[in-house]
Amino acid sequence: MALLEINNLSIAVASQGQLLPVVTDCSFSVAAHETLGVVGESGCGKSLTALAIMGLLEGSQVNITSGSIVFDGRDLLQLRPAQRRAIMGNQMAMVFQEPMTSLNPVYRIGEQITEVLQQHRKITHRESRQRALELLDLVKIPHPQDRIDSYPHQLSGGQRQRVMIAIAMACEPALLIADEPTTALDVTVQKEVLDLMLDLQTRTGTSIILISHDLGVIAETCDEVAVMYRGRIIEKATTASLFANMAHPYTRGLLASIPTIDTDNDWLQAIPGRVPGIDEKVNGCPFHPRCAHTETPCTQTAPRLIDTHPHHAVRCHFAGEI
Amino acid sequence: MLGYTLKRLLTLIPTLLVASILIFLFVHLIPGDPASILLGDSATPEEIASLSAHMGLDRPLWQQYLVWFKNVLHGDFGQSIFFKTPVLEVIADGAETSICLALMTMFWIVLIGIPVGIVSASFHGSWVDQITSGGAMLLASIPTFWLGLYLILIFSVGLGWFPSSGFPSISDEGGLSNLRYLILPSLTLAAPNAALIVRLVRASMLDVSREDHVRTARAKGLHPARVSIKHVFRNALIAVAAAFGFTFAALVSEAVVTETVFSLPGIGRLVVQSILRRDYPVIQGVILLIVLLYLVINLLVDLAYARLDPRVSLQ
Amino acid sequence: MTLRTTIAAVFRGRKLAALGAVWLCIITVAAIGAQFIAPFDPLEIDPIARLSEPGLPYLFGTDHFGRDTFSRAVYGARMALIIGIGSVLVALICGGLIGLLSAYFSTLGHFLMRIIDVLMAFPALLLALVLMTLLERSVINTVIVIGIVYATTTARIFFGMTLKLKNEVFIDAARCSGAGHGSILFRHILPNLWSPLLVQASFIFAFAQLQAAALDFLGLGLPPEVASWGNMLAEEKIYITRAPWLLMFPGALIILSVFSMNLVGDAMRDSIDPRFKNDIAGI
Repeated sequence: MALLEINNLSIAVASQGQLLPVVTDCSFSVAAHETLGVVGESGCGKSLTALAIMGLLEGSQVNITSGSIVFDGRDLLQLRPAQRRAIMGNQMAMVFQEPMTSLNPVYRIGEQITEVLQQHRKITHRESRQRALELLDLVKIPHPQDRIDSYPHQLSGGQRQRVMIAIAMACEPALLIADEPTTALDVTVQKEVLDLMLDLQTRTGTSIILISHDLGVIAETCDEVAVMYRGRIIEKATTASLFANMAHPYTRGLLASIPTIDTDNDWLQAIPGRVPGIDEKVNGCPFHPRCAHTETPCTQTAPRLIDTHPHHAVRCHFAGEI
Repeated sequence: MLGYTLKRLLTLIPTLLVASILIFLFVHLIPGDPASILLGDSATPEEIASLSAHMGLDRPLWQQYLVWFKNVLHGDFGQSIFFKTPVLEVIADGAETSICLALMTMFWIVLIGIPVGIVSASFHGSWVDQITSGGAMLLASIPTFWLGLYLILIFSVGLGWFPSSGFPSISDEGGLSNLRYLILPSLTLAAPNAALIVRLVRASMLDVSREDHVRTARAKGLHPARVSIKHVFRNALIAVAAAFGFTFAALVSEAVVTETVFSLPGIGRLVVQSILRRDYPVIQGVILLIVLLYLVINLLVDLAYARLDPRVSLQ
Repeated sequence: MTLRTTIAAVFRGRKLAALGAVWLCIITVAAIGAQFIAPFDPLEIDPIARLSEPGLPYLFGTDHFGRDTFSRAVYGARMALIIGIGSVLVALICGGLIGLLSAYFSTLGHFLMRIIDVLMAFPALLLALVLMTLLERSVINTVIVIGIVYATTTARIFFGMTLKLKNEVFIDAARCSGAGHGSILFRHILPNLWSPLLVQASFIFAFAQLQAAALDFLGLGLPPEVASWGNMLAEEKIYITRAPWLLMFPGALIILSVFSMNLVGDAMRDSIDPRFKNDIAGI
């Protein structure tokens, strides 16, 4: 059985008295010890899906309108807030995109790590500090003994993200959600942080949902991939199958927009146009205004997710033909 | 820390100098000759002339200022025209009342303003928030003296719970129980200021709650109340502390009115009465001391600010 | 954006603020048409009807001279408007100019802001009281004094906002295309500050009412014969036990007007440029 199963999840944002859908009918699952990549341009609903799984949409203008999120056999949406909080930071943890602002500037990093331990474990102050030192060592912060009493502003962006990972891994969660964990970092640091996460995964066996707009990162790290566009999954496959049988024009567009050094292309191919705003209505296939292969059915009916290969589904009228 | 404090104390000097010049000029801006103003209408020309010479009024203005300022530095603010005693003694007589009133007022502000602000921000957008933040704004819209008059009417005249005016010293008979004289005044004075604090705490907490680190705290599975207090309020306190200097200034303004309404023998009423009596040395002295107090409080606020925000380093 | 859509945006979802705006309109109408609305002369004394209770013909009762409280309250609205608008103009013109120029010409600004900082060390009411001792009690002097007191905060606020704008790219662009100082200040910077200026004006208007009432109460504001809400409270305060309603009406009028102005200011503040939101010193 999968560790996490998302079934028909729909999310909408309340705006001026109406509900605008931002994620529609989204289903996927993550097996234990596996890594799922979620990829798409900004504004396609990746982060909101992650926040929904984590339980961080409470109290915002964004609401889950239907579907279920089954984690470890329990539907998270049916749990009481206290039960939900017992899972947050404990069996399920999250690393955010902005390491510069994700730590509280007024507390020392040691305090911010031990806080989550003391929330979920029966543990003395001394033990939790010892564990925090181990965690800092684990995320390869040099001289943890000196660093544990630093304030966030005394650390570099890469180090702060390592601290965020230490906080997330503190209770050895079964699932780690990483929302663009390296986007805000220097290129040289990006690789180190990704390697660190994969290294921690092999040690602890945690499952990871890695959200990224970069297919290259996904290709290197993930077992399975879900491609999202305008709140829908438009292609879903194992990483191997995705790159072997890439079917959706949008996925191909994403791949073509990655710069490579071994081709002779002088320019990058960008996907024309932009993601329409959530208040704009598009009939038929949501991608058709930007698609090079648009034909009559595309503008009229929305395509369904169709299996084209084993473990490979595509939401396109011409899947496998183009 | 010590070095910074000394440096800041040094920067107070030019401000104080400018303030003292303004305060000194104030008496000289009054239409008419200071000596005749000081002596009143019944003075003879000889008396005026002799006082003028005694005060050095025949000398250039800048020399007069230096003499006055030198005296001030020695703690000599001159003689009160009305009381015929040194200004500093007159002020000292009102200090106890004003300090007790200020402390009791601060007690109410912190006890009521901060928790209500936290509740208001924590239930942002709900009816609780609308009532508390709207109520705070209404409270801040009430003239202090009007509130004081009706509190007297209801709780002193009507119910007889508290005395309506005056304040015997706590060293007199009755001891600390004399503080009951200050309950209505301190509530009157606290009302608009607590309302300001409620609005301030609420606005700063709403600002902080949109920051990314609050999401991190929630992702740890902490109880919402814990997130509110430990993470949101603690960070909002930085902005609240920064605005504290302004609260002090507002407090002094309203203390003047409150002490008058409740006939309290404090410095605030002393100012009003001195202005009505044209007792200029007292006005000068009190205002100089209040400005000094304001500057010192702002220095303390800056020091507290650095304690509250580790990103600020005192250099 | 037209005026109509702007107003709609400010008051959308803020029923209380909209009610406040309605109340301010009523006050304005009363102030303009006072002589048509007030049933009696506000200064006319009726010795037989001293301290009469609310009813007919004296809607709000009469004061200890036997003057009609309702008529005085209507004329008080006129005085409230004069004090409010007058102080706002003085504060915005003096404070706005000082702030704008200080931020733009930094040598002059350093000196001027120092003085402003010193003046801000004087608590508002105290500064007003001291200034009033130098002047005769009159409407114009009260307006000037309250205006000067709030000019200090206004100068500080404008100083901060102009500094933020001064380094924007569009100012550099204007300078590169040969715009002079005056043109940059008044055609490029100032127009961006109109809406924060309006918000600041509404808060000054509200504060000025409270400040003027306090001055009246202490006997250092408007001349005693002027029918203002503050004077009505000041004159009748000793009759509060005999005629509690006497202080109720003018008090309620002050509270409602200040509250309404604060609500409107608060609503407007939420719809201005977020960069300037925290600069405005309101409630």
